[in-house]
Amino acid sequence: MDEIKEVSLEMKDYIVSSGAETLSWCMQCGLCTNLCPWRLVPGEISEAFNIRKMQRLGQLGLEGFEDENVLFACATCGMCLVNCPRKVEIIDNVRSMRNTTVAAGFLPANLRPIAGSLHANGNPWSGAHEKRAEWQEGLNIPAFSDDTEYLLYVCCTSCFDTRSQKIAKSIVNLLQKAGVSFGVLTAEENCCGETIRKLGDEELFQKLAESNIKLFNGKGVKKIITTSPHCLYAFKKDYPELGGNYEVVHYAELLGDLLKQGKISFSTELAKKVTFHDPCYLGRHNQVYDPQRELLKAVPGVEFVELGRNKEKSLCCAGGGGRVWAEAPMGERFGELRITDAVDKQADILVTACPYCIAMLDDACAGLEKGDVLKVMEMSELLNASL
Amino acid sequence: MDKKTGVYICTGCGIGESLDIEGLSKVATKEGKVPVCKSHPFFCGPEGVALIKSDIENEGVNTVVIAGCSSRVNYDVFDFGPSLLMERANIREQVIWCHPANDEDTQMMAEDALRMSLAKAAHIQLPEAYQGQNMVKTILVVGGGLSGITAALEAAKAGYETVVVEKSPVLGGWMNSLFKQAPLKFPYDSPEDVDIASRVKELEAQSGVKIYTNAEIKEIAGAPGMFDVTINQNGNTIQERIGSVILATGAVPYDPTKLEQLGYGKYANVVTATQMEEIASKGKIVRPADGKEVQSIAFIQCAGSRDPEHLPYCSVECCVESLKQATYLKEQNPEAAVYIFNKDMRTPGQNERLYKRVQQDGAIFVRGEISEISEDDDKNLIIQSKDVLTGSTISTEGVDMVVLATGMVPTTAFGESLVAKAEDSEEVEATEPKVEEILKSNLLNLAYRQGPEMPTLKYGFADSHFICFPYETRRTGIYAAGSVRAPMDAASSIEDATGAAMKAIQCNELTAIGNAVHPRVGDMSFPDFAMSRCTQCKRCTVECPFGAINEDDKFNPLPNPTRCRRCGICMGACPERIISFKNYSVPMIGNMIKAIEVPEEDEEKPRIVIFACENDAYPALDMAGINHLSYNAWVRVIPVRCLGSMNIVWIADTLSKGIDGILLLGCKHGDDYQCHFVKGSELAGIRLGKVAETLNRLDLESDRVRMEQLSIMDYDQIPAMIDGFAERLEELGPNPYKGF
Repeated sequence: MDEIKEVSLEMKDYIVSSGAETLSWCMQCGLCTNLCPWRLVPGEISEAFNIRKMQRLGQLGLEGFEDENVLFACATCGMCLVNCPRKVEIIDNVRSMRNTTVAAGFLPANLRPIAGSLHANGNPWSGAHEKRAEWQEGLNIPAFSDDTEYLLYVCCTSCFDTRSQKIAKSIVNLLQKAGVSFGVLTAEENCCGETIRKLGDEELFQKLAESNIKLFNGKGVKKIITTSPHCLYAFKKDYPELGGNYEVVHYAELLGDLLKQGKISFSTELAKKVTFHDPCYLGRHNQVYDPQRELLKAVPGVEFVELGRNKEKSLCCAGGGGRVWAEAPMGERFGELRITDAVDKQADILVTACPYCIAMLDDACAGLEKGDVLKVMEMSELLNASL
Repeated sequence: MDKKTGVYICTGCGIGESLDIEGLSKVATKEGKVPVCKSHPFFCGPEGVALIKSDIENEGVNTVVIAGCSSRVNYDVFDFGPSLLMERANIREQVIWCHPANDEDTQMMAEDALRMSLAKAAHIQLPEAYQGQNMVKTILVVGGGLSGITAALEAAKAGYETVVVEKSPVLGGWMNSLFKQAPLKFPYDSPEDVDIASRVKELEAQSGVKIYTNAEIKEIAGAPGMFDVTINQNGNTIQERIGSVILATGAVPYDPTKLEQLGYGKYANVVTATQMEEIASKGKIVRPADGKEVQSIAFIQCAGSRDPEHLPYCSVECCVESLKQATYLKEQNPEAAVYIFNKDMRTPGQNERLYKRVQQDGAIFVRGEISEISEDDDKNLIIQSKDVLTGSTISTEGVDMVVLATGMVPTTAFGESLVAKAEDSEEVEATEPKVEEILKSNLLNLAYRQGPEMPTLKYGFADSHFICFPYETRRTGIYAAGSVRAPMDAASSIEDATGAAMKAIQCNELTAIGNAVHPRVGDMSFPDFAMSRCTQCKRCTVECPFGAINEDDKFNPLPNPTRCRRCGICMGACPERIISFKNYSVPMIGNMIKAIEVPEEDEEKPRIVIFACENDAYPALDMAGINHLSYNAWVRVIPVRCLGSMNIVWIADTLSKGIDGILLLGCKHGDDYQCHFVKGSELAGIRLGKVAETLNRLDLESDRVRMEQLSIMDYDQIPAMIDGFAERLEELGPNPYKGF
């Protein structure tokens, strides 16, 4: 006879009290598991991780979900969330179940330096806090003040990662060309905390968020432009409950509006077949689909093609939910499927609008050795080149 | 009636282009000596209809034969009133739409169709409606629970005198035992106060309703429109004349003492759902063993249900009842732990909303088989169960109380079986149809030769034509409603009772004008018995699926025309062929067979007669035509009211005429029968089994007669069915009786 597992209502109640308020709503239909991108790849994690079962273990307070390959597999792409017939807040449930382990001090080894750097430096990339604004040298960006309309909040990744810094610079240039009134507080900012919250370190998230809110409120910030959809998510959805209420836009939304108003236009021809990968946090989580497409189509010479799975059905790059720091073996990376999608469409350039997506897709493109046929670009880079 | 026949050959819809109309006309005028024969390109148009009308009015035509489309279409256009005999020769769907145009075989087929129609028209007579003595339209409702009250209210509100008989002292039935009722109103997510008292009040205030409580039915004699009902109330006998009856005696919970494996009777804190209602009605939910307030509870669904050892079926409402009871406890203590162990949660109708609400309140649902229920020293119960969703066996912390959600057993499932008795006394031949399962459950006490109650279906539920016509039963004018018919919840019972009231009303109205009820609504014919030739063999009384034929004192069959459904099964059963309808009889079909032209052997044109059930097979043949499927042109189709009306003599008539083969197309039979008359196709099969032996003895291969089950959806299989049979006949060679 099988081992008999003891139901623990105490454990269940602890998970629920950590934020999994809709855990019991789940009727275990399994649609989430079938829509999960992990079903599209083989391997150990794919076999271990079943989001339906993970929630079931949570409902009964049973052991078995703490395994790293189970608990930290979810990339929080939201494919299950938007399709759940019971409207279960699946990502909140994942976050809360992670919290029960992380709060007890059991963060997986690969994530410890990340949390440590966030504590010490206010960014996950082990960059010294004083170097946060180094990339801005020579760009003449004013500090945010009463005279500037927007605060430009630049993602930690684009502050410290040399590849990603290009994105920040391109965005700055585009905003300046379009005459947007904005300033920065980069040197004083901390990480938005979106990802560490998804990883279950609620305490650390609160610390980061509170310091940012204090800074923003103190400076009188009303409107924020983000470079990353993840920061957009944090400011829009996580901060209000902590007292941070701002009008937040992703740069693509703002540029889209400016394009319509004729305040920005593109003149350098780019005779390429271009496709777009919808970042989960821009698309499914924030419902921004059109501005990117309008901007790309406004570039002379661009032939825009859609990927097979696009918009609401976009496939995750695997960079969310802390997976950007996880090591998945070749052949098990969602990014590879995305590169293949773009190559199948015979696109010359795969554009996206998220620093995590860029990191994941760059890796996948290099791993698959498709660099000769496909170029991965952040949207701001492409737009900047055709100004 | 002196017949003057007019034949009207329509040349529209491609008929004129496909057939030699002049040749066809000669069948009527030369062979049939018909005085009036006309053709028109559009008989169903105003001009065509006017032409026929004019002949009826000016030429004295009183028998009309229209050769054209199927009788299943344009019947309203060609309705010239009840004093006219109407016959349709189907040369469109079943001839020109499935056979090549201007082809010798197609022409022969059309001519035979007309010959058969002429033979039929020559034979039939106008039916006269049956009028019984002292007919009434009062509706009797047996059982005063939710279904009975609903049915009675619906009937009374529609203007029918209604009599309600309830055996207990008060109306309300099962609903009286509830603390709250499952939601019947939007938003369907929380229990409601039981509203049965207001329904009882409404019924008591309703005019035209007579209520007998503390009363039982002693006897129901007679037939629809004229039932004589004897009611016993507190020892007093009351007589009522009744038109139609609704059986709404409901169901009772399964006996929990049989569920010791789930701890019932063994552990004090294991109770049934019924007991849970009592506990909740008393106020605070406390457990029976020690009066401790319940903080945690486990509901065990399918307690004895969907279990071959107990009740093999799902009782439909137990899941909803447990969800409802879970809210009782959550109301008392929102922090209370609720487990619901289930095989599957089944929440029909709007009850998914209640399910969702209980989920959202935090109940734990465990799907899987219970392996053990045990008790700890504090009389808490520990449940061990498979959890299918994690694939493991789990064990709960001790819970204060366990509630067993037991299923329902219909009141018709109790009582001594008539069948068992029959089996003891005589060997039942395998070639006989399965005897109806009737238990002496003391509900209706019918004075019927066939037994005192409704026939029951699987698991003892009262009769229903459950596949096709759930409200129909095998006892004309008696309709089962609510949980006596099938497991159902309150919302479904209300619907079901309303439906049954409608059927009872239809029965009253149709019976009053001498019309048949479903499925031959509008049919005024009924069987005549040439009693002087009866041999008292009892075939008709036994085979009538509707118990229409009793026996008189001298053991002669005693037909009850208002119980009759006009299927003709008695006519098919009778070996002396003494039973016939004015417009449907053994010789009528015999004459149709004789009308078919059978070519000589050397012409190599074999002939096949198809006896097709009018309800499914004949429409399926039409469907094949509509879809222009083509099949062998040797066939000649004779529609029959039901394959069960097939008299064996037709087989002999057909084969002795030199026709090479016979194909019988009837409905699906067996447990999930689709026969409109329940037993017809099955009986035809049994009769055929007996004829095979005789055929072999006469040197006629029994393969020459084949029976197939065909539903209207299977029309696409018709070509293969017919062509396959024709191939087999070719192998057998010509009928040796050809030319005799």
